[in-house]
Amino acid sequence: MDSNHQSNVKLSKTEKKFLRKQIKARHTLLRHEGIETVSYATQILVVANGGLGNGVSRNKLLPELEKLGQVDALLMPPNKPYSFVTYKTTEESKKAYATLNGQNIVNDLGQKIILYLNFVEKAQWKELGLQALPPGLKVVEEIISSEDEKLLLESVSWTEDTDNPNFQKSLKHRRVKHFGYEFHYENNNVHKDKPLPGGLPDICDSMLEKWLKEGFIRHKPDQLTVNQYEPGQGIPAHIDTHSAFEDEIISLSLGSEIIMDFKHPDGVTVPVMLPLRSLLVMTGESRYLWTHGITPRKFDTVQASKGHKSGIITGDVGDLTLSKRGIRTSFTFRKVRQTPCDCSYPLVCDSQMKEPPPSFPESDKEASQLEQKYVHQVYEEIAGHFSSTRHTPWPHIVEFLKALPSGSLVADVGCGNGKYLGINKELYMIGCDRSQNLVDICREKQYQAFVCDALSVPVRSGSCDACISIAVIHHFATAERRMAALQEIARLLRSGGKALIYVWAMEQEYQKKKSKYLRENKSNQGRQEISSDPSAQELFVEPVPDTGHQDSACSIPSINDFQKGRYHSREVANSMLPIHTNRTSFHSQDLLVPWHLKGNASKEKPTEPFGPAGTHDTGPVLHRYYHVFCEGELEAACQTLNNVSILQSYYDQGNWCVILQKA
Amino acid sequence: MKLLTHNLLSSHVRGVGPRGFPLRLQATEVRVIPVEFNPDFVARMIPKVEWAALLEAADHLRLAEVPKGPIQGYEQDETFLRKMHHVLLEVEVVEGTLQCPESGRVFPITRGIPNMLLNEEETET
Repeated sequence: MDSNHQSNVKLSKTEKKFLRKQIKARHTLLRHEGIETVSYATQILVVANGGLGNGVSRNKLLPELEKLGQVDALLMPPNKPYSFVTYKTTEESKKAYATLNGQNIVNDLGQKIILYLNFVEKAQWKELGLQALPPGLKVVEEIISSEDEKLLLESVSWTEDTDNPNFQKSLKHRRVKHFGYEFHYENNNVHKDKPLPGGLPDICDSMLEKWLKEGFIRHKPDQLTVNQYEPGQGIPAHIDTHSAFEDEIISLSLGSEIIMDFKHPDGVTVPVMLPLRSLLVMTGESRYLWTHGITPRKFDTVQASKGHKSGIITGDVGDLTLSKRGIRTSFTFRKVRQTPCDCSYPLVCDSQMKEPPPSFPESDKEASQLEQKYVHQVYEEIAGHFSSTRHTPWPHIVEFLKALPSGSLVADVGCGNGKYLGINKELYMIGCDRSQNLVDICREKQYQAFVCDALSVPVRSGSCDACISIAVIHHFATAERRMAALQEIARLLRSGGKALIYVWAMEQEYQKKKSKYLRENKSNQGRQEISSDPSAQELFVEPVPDTGHQDSACSIPSINDFQKGRYHSREVANSMLPIHTNRTSFHSQDLLVPWHLKGNASKEKPTEPFGPAGTHDTGPVLHRYYHVFCEGELEAACQTLNNVSILQSYYDQGNWCVILQKA
Repeated sequence: MKLLTHNLLSSHVRGVGPRGFPLRLQATEVRVIPVEFNPDFVARMIPKVEWAALLEAADHLRLAEVPKGPIQGYEQDETFLRKMHHVLLEVEVVEGTLQCPESGRVFPITRGIPNMLLNEEETET
């Protein structure tokens, strides 16, 4: 297979091991990335493990490569654990191949990385389409001097002062201070009739006058929010409340540059570089329609050649590198609205929409309302179509049921269309579901089923020999409700009884294998959205220390804190639930998943306001709410139940699963 | 809804607890649907049955020949097992109601399906 190794040379153990890894690298590249390596020498090499996606920056890799010859180009695709290097001659690339293969390099996170090189015919990569800045957005560079920057930073005192109405709160992800009007995170709005004494700091006032005169801004703001972000901190994607503030919202970046992600409801994401001492001006569409947010991570992917200039991070993939973040302080100036908003974007406008767009619930009541709208009503509507897509029982669940002793009483909580009710004829199974229409389908199949809520199952305590609850608990919108559902299941079990629980996993790719959910994506090629998923991807199974967890969307929960919100912390109240793109990886734990209804001859179909624009399906799109679970989260929740023990915990086709036993 | 299912159901109206069992059964339409007799299966069910509840329900349905309780050596008694098989597994309530004995709350049974959903005020918070 490899022309450089002659068949009559006896390889040592380390050499054999290395060769195995190199072959494995080849296979992985081909299978997962569509990169075809060749066994003859070419000018182009793929450098596996040497990529932006696993923390190797251009200024670390390039010098190593240049030692072996003249480098024509180094392509580093964003978020990928590999790069492509083109040498001027094949002689030089052969030298690089021989020398660098298996060589250690230290990446930007301080991890030791082993590089594996292979020849390729071409550096296959889809060019990112040219993207424009969101309409209405502009970035004014070097708008203040370094001296002014220093003065501004010094003017904010961060000492806790609860008497002072401006007192800063330390939110989970950043420090905040308000001037002019106090901003309330419970409803993301200001108290318009209660201005804060003192107004805006003097130094800001003169700056704003200057910017008005010079035409950078058109209105004089009367509210200021100062945010301080440590590296690794961010703010979830959101639109500034329409009814709270006028059109123009401006934000001065001090202390560190940063990438801010702008996202259109269609799903298009545009990462925008905000250089040091620049002013971001958001008007029109960029203020009213696009969400903006900062991913909590320590490194941003930026354009190496552009240095620290503003613009979009895209286009020339041969130019990307990593930039380490520093402490960034933003001064966001806004003008408080005194009248309801009358913008041209009613679907995302809280003044014009009678119903606000679905947001992360803040209370049990909100959670219940969210579930009513985005779980129960939806299943009633899609029951028939849904049932037709749920026909294949999953093997591990069948195994569980078949292993139960004959004559067991088994409850299926959230039985759906009754898929599992008839699997084992030796059991007496009763199914319950929240959806009348789905229970009707069970009845048609002659199963015993009834309608109820999983939080309140009308079955005697301790009466069941076993329980199953498959793909149910992830529909509950708060940790408390999910816990309550687990408690109900535990209550139903008799002493020694077992329960099997399945929930959708955040991690749709596990141990390098993509779940069926991801694999069945037909249009998977070249969709290079600059992912906000900050977890470093290691291509090969090298032991990697657990570094990135505070950066990743899922931190390993301890038994005590699994209940706290995760990336979607509750500091930005009414943060909109993102709408998921089917058959792609999850970027958030709480989200809405579209269902494209087919073959439903029903009367009216309330198309959600956030039905994906430009959808190619002519049928209505409904959205179901999910909370997808991180690794360990289900286990941690079960561990807090004092009357059950965990017999088994595993991953099955994109789901986290547990088998519990009642004490 | 079979009587074995009824035997498991309990009212979950707020504050009612174990006093929500058994639910008082009324039926306007009952069907007998034959089920293959499996003596082992029935025998295993016997220890799990709440007899008082079963008798009360059977009484409301005016069923005849319902054993008053497990008899000595029931595991081998085919007559006994067949009677239990019939009562527990072959009688289906198609239309009727279930009533919480403590709160009086009525749950409908339609097309064989009990609807046990409570509204906001009735559920435990």
